[in-house]
Amino acid sequence: MATVTLTLNGDVRTASVPPETTLLRLLREEFGLTGSKLGCDVGDCGACTVIVDGKSVNSCLMLAVQADGRDVVTIEGLATMSRLHPLQQLFEDKGSLQCGFCGPGVIMSAKALLDENPDPSEQEIRDALAGNLCRCTGYSKMIEAIQAVARDGRGEPAKSAV
Amino acid sequence: MKRRGRGIACMWYPIGFTVSANPSAAVVKVNEDGTATLLTGTVETGQGSLTILAQIVAEELGIATDDVHVVSADTDTTPMDTGAIASRTTYVTGNAARLAAEKAKKILFEVAAPLLGVKPEHLEVGDHKIRIKGFPQRSLHIGDVAERARGVNGDPPIGSASFNPATAALDAETGQGKPFATYVYATQIAEVEVDDETGEVEVLRIAASHDCGTPINPMLVEGQVEGGISMGVGFALEEEILFDATGRQINPNLTNYIMPTSLDMPKVEVDIVDSYDPTGPFGAKGVGEPTCVPTAAAILNAIHDAVGVRVTSLPATAEKVYAALKAKRAQEGKRLGAGA
Ligand code: FES
Ligand code: FES
Repeated sequence: MATVTLTLNGDVRTASVPPETTLLRLLREEFGLTGSKLGCDVGDCGACTVIVDGKSVNSCLMLAVQADGRDVVTIEGLATMSRLHPLQQLFEDKGSLQCGFCGPGVIMSAKALLDENPDPSEQEIRDALAGNLCRCTGYSKMIEAIQAVARDGRGEPAKSAV
Repeated sequence: MKRRGRGIACMWYPIGFTVSANPSAAVVKVNEDGTATLLTGTVETGQGSLTILAQIVAEELGIATDDVHVVSADTDTTPMDTGAIASRTTYVTGNAARLAAEKAKKILFEVAAPLLGVKPEHLEVGDHKIRIKGFPQRSLHIGDVAERARGVNGDPPIGSASFNPATAALDAETGQGKPFATYVYATQIAEVEVDDETGEVEVLRIAASHDCGTPINPMLVEGQVEGGISMGVGFALEEEILFDATGRQINPNLTNYIMPTSLDMPKVEVDIVDSYDPTGPFGAKGVGEPTCVPTAAAILNAIHDAVGVRVTSLPATAEKVYAALKAKRAQEGKRLGAGA
């Protein structure tokens, strides 16, 4: 067994897991954070995307022990009891998701992008989402929502949600 | 060299099953607080059906969409629904929900009419009230009427209904009949860029014009069209299940089964055609499956427009387009040779 201590959504958490455990399984099975989805387990779909030390990562491709001592943010770390994160709110307002399975991963990729580049072009948004497969939506409404969050961040009024 | 081309494709698509019965049923009860509850067997998979059903019930009862509680897809409690298939939910389940709400409303009108001193046919709903047509200031709150219907009249405002699309079997000899109750129509135009040295195709733009009857929720209609087009782009250029000689799938994973990413998807412009079907709930028909029907045809026509080759099997991978270009050049070479 290997002991992992990490900062998870702002709290220091520790678990003891077999060394081959992925970060995704640590999150889902040890900590009960099932927002990050297991789509493929081999790095193809992006449904498991989380943010580690500011970078978006496929958590199915990272071992839990590699997260030792690091800062991990998952979809559960975004909303407060009283308020959705702006990305979550705009995804809801614009109908950006359908079945929603890709959603947590897409939103974490978008957050990592906006944290680094608060004013991305459409092409930069498409690049940032390229590792997140979505079967339902064609991505258009996700891109619109991310652009609207960026506009809000610049203090411009968002186009009112349809 | 990269060459651009445009292609167009049109389609029609039927709503519901071919001739055979495909009913939906619904129950609507109006609650004493002025909200309503809809019981439906249909399943929400993210397409937004339950939102649309709530909108339909809200419109029929003159209340807000948020005031409609939807209970769905539970065989313990909800009535039968044939399924979230055949692009039928808005039309078939929507009609059942509207009819159920209308029956509950009839009960409310019977109760409200003597209180307002008019006949039930002089009443209408709106703004959470039951009111006299032409005299909206003479009204009663829908919740108060529901309370009175139950407590005084002993007739709680509950309606149940089912709907089965009107079809007629096809005559075996003449082929005549009415296989479906209604149809939707669409045209899509694709603009592509084809690399005539590699056969690679990039879809630059798709414009999609869809008739779905009244778009009860335009944002959700757009979502269906955009999503359907992404499936159409995959169908046209990328997606293929490959088998080995023993019938085993050799690409059962997303590394080798290629589907469109955000980089493969073009800008999609959605145009919703204004139309009204008198047999649909508030004029609505449907929009699910039809959205991906014309996409591949439009893209392959655009490839032809760009480089003059017809690819006749899907997906039109770079290899296939390249092979068709090579064959075309060989053909042209021969013709040139013959002319010399
Ligand atoms: S589950 Fe990690 S990329 Fe698919
Ligand atoms: S919303 Fe269904 S996979 Fe993206």
